[in-house]
Amino acid sequence: MQSNAQGRLEVGVDTGGTFTDVVYRRSDGSSGWCKLLSTPDDPGRAVLDALARLFDGTPPDRLGYGTTIATNAMLQRQGARTALVTTAGFEDLLEIGRQARPELYRLEPRREQPLLAGNMSFGLAERSAADGKALLRPDKAALDQLASKLRRARVESIAVCLLHSHVNPAHEKAVGEALRHLGVPVTLSQQLSPEPGEYERASTAVANAFVRPRVERHLKDLALKCGTPDFRVMQSSGGCLGVKTVSREPVRSMLSGPAGGVAAAFEVMRAVHLEQAVTLDMGGTSTDVTLINGTIPLTNTTVIGGIPLRCPAVDIHTVGAGGGSIASVDAGGALKVGPASAGATPGPACYGQGSEPTVTDANALLGRLAGGGLLGGEMPVDLARARRVMTRLGKRMGGLSAERAAEGVLRIVEANMERAIRRITIERGQDPRGATLLGFGGAAGLHACAVADSLQMASVLLPCNPGLLSAGGVLEGSFSRDLRAALSLQDPDIGELRQRCLALEKQARAELLQQGCQPGRIRLSRSVGLRYLGQSSEIEVPLKPGFRAAFDREHHRLFHHHDDSRPVEACALHVTATEARRRKRRTVATVGRSRTPTPAHNVSVYLEGRKRRLPLYRRDDLVMGDRFAGPALVTEYSSTSLIATGWTARVDGESNLRLEKDGG
Amino acid sequence: MAERFDPVELELFSNRLVAVAEEMGTVLCQAGFSPNIKERRDFSCAIFDAAGGMVSHAAHIPVHLGSTPLSVKAAIEAMTADSGDVIAGDIMLLNDPYSGGTHLPDLTVVAPVFLAGHDKSSRAGRARRPFAWLAARAHHADVGGHAPGSMALCTDIHQEGFRIPPVHLYRGGRVVRETMELFLANTRVPAERMGDLDAQVAALRSGDQRLSELATRFGPGRITRAMKELQDYSRRLVEAMIKELPVGEFSARDSLDNDGIDPQPLRLSVTLRRRGKRLEIDLRDCAPQCRGPLNANLAVTTSAVFYVVACLAGSRVPANRGMMEPVDILTTPGTLVDCRFPAAVAGGNVETSQRIVDLLLRALARALPGRIPAASSGTMNNLTLGGWDVKRDCHFAYYETVAGGAGAGPSGPGCHALHTHMTNTLNTPVELLESYYPLRVIRYGLRRRSGGTGKHRGGDGIDREIEVLVPATLTLLADRRQEGPWGLAGGKPGLPGRDTVSSGGRTKAIASKTELQLAAGDRVRVQTPGGGGWGRVGRKVAGKKKRG
Repeated sequence: MQSNAQGRLEVGVDTGGTFTDVVYRRSDGSSGWCKLLSTPDDPGRAVLDALARLFDGTPPDRLGYGTTIATNAMLQRQGARTALVTTAGFEDLLEIGRQARPELYRLEPRREQPLLAGNMSFGLAERSAADGKALLRPDKAALDQLASKLRRARVESIAVCLLHSHVNPAHEKAVGEALRHLGVPVTLSQQLSPEPGEYERASTAVANAFVRPRVERHLKDLALKCGTPDFRVMQSSGGCLGVKTVSREPVRSMLSGPAGGVAAAFEVMRAVHLEQAVTLDMGGTSTDVTLINGTIPLTNTTVIGGIPLRCPAVDIHTVGAGGGSIASVDAGGALKVGPASAGATPGPACYGQGSEPTVTDANALLGRLAGGGLLGGEMPVDLARARRVMTRLGKRMGGLSAERAAEGVLRIVEANMERAIRRITIERGQDPRGATLLGFGGAAGLHACAVADSLQMASVLLPCNPGLLSAGGVLEGSFSRDLRAALSLQDPDIGELRQRCLALEKQARAELLQQGCQPGRIRLSRSVGLRYLGQSSEIEVPLKPGFRAAFDREHHRLFHHHDDSRPVEACALHVTATEARRRKRRTVATVGRSRTPTPAHNVSVYLEGRKRRLPLYRRDDLVMGDRFAGPALVTEYSSTSLIATGWTARVDGESNLRLEKDGG
Repeated sequence: MAERFDPVELELFSNRLVAVAEEMGTVLCQAGFSPNIKERRDFSCAIFDAAGGMVSHAAHIPVHLGSTPLSVKAAIEAMTADSGDVIAGDIMLLNDPYSGGTHLPDLTVVAPVFLAGHDKSSRAGRARRPFAWLAARAHHADVGGHAPGSMALCTDIHQEGFRIPPVHLYRGGRVVRETMELFLANTRVPAERMGDLDAQVAALRSGDQRLSELATRFGPGRITRAMKELQDYSRRLVEAMIKELPVGEFSARDSLDNDGIDPQPLRLSVTLRRRGKRLEIDLRDCAPQCRGPLNANLAVTTSAVFYVVACLAGSRVPANRGMMEPVDILTTPGTLVDCRFPAAVAGGNVETSQRIVDLLLRALARALPGRIPAASSGTMNNLTLGGWDVKRDCHFAYYETVAGGAGAGPSGPGCHALHTHMTNTLNTPVELLESYYPLRVIRYGLRRRSGGTGKHRGGDGIDREIEVLVPATLTLLADRRQEGPWGLAGGKPGLPGRDTVSSGGRTKAIASKTELQLAAGDRVRVQTPGGGGWGRVGRKVAGKKKRG
């Protein structure tokens, strides 16, 4: 489809809390971007504005969309009037949860506000046993009665979660059939998450039902207005799906934005043949970290705003440490940074409104923002204000100077990030030292060297335009479909498991074909969840010859012991169908020539306990092959980076800044 | 003496040390075999300084807080008693409430940490002092005794299960087969026990590795100092809390329904005294130890006090020895809160500990009016079902604690169906429970309107009914069946709990502490207490009041 004069037009859109980013590429090689303030009341408006501005009404041939609409609807409790249908006797499933409280030492424990209104849970007389046998089939009278109750309750969306439906889906399906005539969307729990654990499955189904009408309206409306034939939405797993599927299963797109970032980081890695990296995505209120080891890591359970969701999502670990994190000294005399954040309003003190010292204020005071402020100077920095709040903090720290206090704040926030990375590497038996730290998001460049140093990581990669990386990831997004099934097989052989995968493979393939994938481009991968018989947590390993030994090795790596004579149980199958994209053959430009660039000017920065003059480079002035030693600052439109002492920077063939530890 | 850490170093090192204990917990949870560990997370991990003083305790189960230090102390004493040799790779195992334990199902493993670099200096063969100690405790679903689950109605510790004083489980890195086999021969579900013990050992190994890495990275001296600093930090936080208490004496009383053997209620009473920077908790006037299994040893009592102190000082105070330094606990040996051998103790840990918390909060409500919530359910509603699983051809022992209503407080209503105070275990999902055990859950819901009325309503308890599919022994250990959890500031009490068994179409109430043989098809129903209400209801609402 070559509808545009300059060739095929592909667009990536990422809507965030503050900005909506749009990047595009044409088949003639041209590309560009646009950054607009988001329009939270109607997120589509900013997208359409940007498209109109960039392309003057010509619809893109393909549009990838990263969206926070599902997450926001859930977190702000602005979803549909939702009902849960469950086995009679278990109507309070969601209110009981797992019985545990989130904070141990709190006189008055609190729980998250549930998505369901109090009287919107409906019991149905039906029951299956743990092995799937039907003990009581739902009869027609009961189903009719249920339907009329739901109609009277004027529900807008329905979730169905019946006990043991992951082994006996028939009852949920019967409910779905019986409620179809109500004309509201019905979400069946076993279709989203065919796994045991009634609370998590119900929670996932209810979250899906809750956001479903809103997401569906939004996506259909936007896709129509864009006029794009190929409109795809980034899912939490880092792969895309079409409007129809995402509208039906919006819960799979709850982490759409962060997943786009990780997918983009993965593309950056592929382009430069990097196998292993830790991504560090630092924003205003939090930092996301992920370990990429040859593939994007997925998890099957995420918790968002206290609500557990069972669906494949990029395995992201989040800490409450960002540019807006507030610093304070507690009654015992320790310096705390975050998780409270000054957010966008009032924001850090140096932006003119806030009055609490934040991480950004510490960076500003120490001269690390290079005086220019954010977004190429569009947001000026009030240094005097930053100094006032830091001086006050220093006094509470036993009379430290504002600079020392600011340095302390940065050390704490960097330690919080270090801890987050240790969680996803060392605590899972992975050594981070061989990995590259890949920093993006507005503020990662200021902290990447320090974090890498604390983990003895010898290389750092800072891509160009780190603030637009997520949109770029969405632009590159391929279709992918994850399907799972629960089972229980003792010491299975590979043939048996492969046989059981066939149905999942067929379904996943069919769905990708429906999206418009070419049959020859569909790649399948299979994995199996195993555990020692009697154990209750599983480890997922690729389903290929030797999978049993791979499980023992993995168990040993994680838990320091294994037993290859112990019987194992296969409890889950996982099939992923992915669209293999045609990639332009990349030759990483070998850097033939090395040049020492000239700094734009020198700036005064407080570093390692004293004031120093540092060269400042403009990212736009740097070209492939440039090489310079730290300490130095690099500024660009949406970000500033600090090359620390002991690090050397060079610009690679993809315009990435590659930092190497000297002598490393 | 080196100078005090600055606020930055303090925060950095306290996080590092707390992270070690947390990671041990992650490993234990993931490697655990039994639902009780994996699903319910009934375990705790902690690190200790060279002298056995607690440094950090991962926030798992509060009832383990004050008691793990005594386990470590007992282990150290046992190891150094005869030969005095403590070597790398040693692991001690214990559960005896009269030497470092709490109640028998809680198995604690304790290990010394030696630093690799130090080994060379001690080639002479003389035992060195360990750099630090680690402990991992887990509640095992069965440790023998006369009923499955080892939470039975006994009158003597010997009936309750297999007693393990501190003994070597590993010696120099090798498992001591005799210990392992002796223990496994005395539990009904040995394979599961072995898997869970392996997981506990894995937790110790990961703690050892992380602590050694910290010592290598920052130097052992610095870590030792950080441990001390962290304890001082907690002490300062608690002292700051004590300073907010008014000077004076504040007393309160509460009681347990009965001990399951004798019918009379068991009295508990406390007087709190603030003396300068110190807080005295005088429990000397509690009832003498009872015949039934509701006795708490000093370790359990200390845990309850620990918990209340941690709540008052704010959730961020690292739990360690320093936290308890400004607090004095006074008890009379031979009482409910400081029992002597051979009293039965299974329920002291789970029931009496909850009541001690209620008691302390009641006294604190006098000292800090407007800050303290009404009583929560005040019982863990311990339900054990065990017997022979015909289908799987093996013993089974299912243990679960059922949540209740949380007390309402000055800032709002109490939560429904929540584990409060001394426990925070998760439930076993119905779908997993039914696939592990020959049991079927008939209902699992809120016990509506069981929370006490008031300006803020107490949370509702739970209504849970289970059918046994094979003949089984039922053990119930619960309380607050006679009087509901108290309200505060004019709020009304929550409904007391209620328990019934249905057999052949007939339903009859059972006592709160019961041991009973059930036939296949019988059902047990537990309705847990609601939380107390807080504040007087407005006049209009008061007219609709349902109960007094």
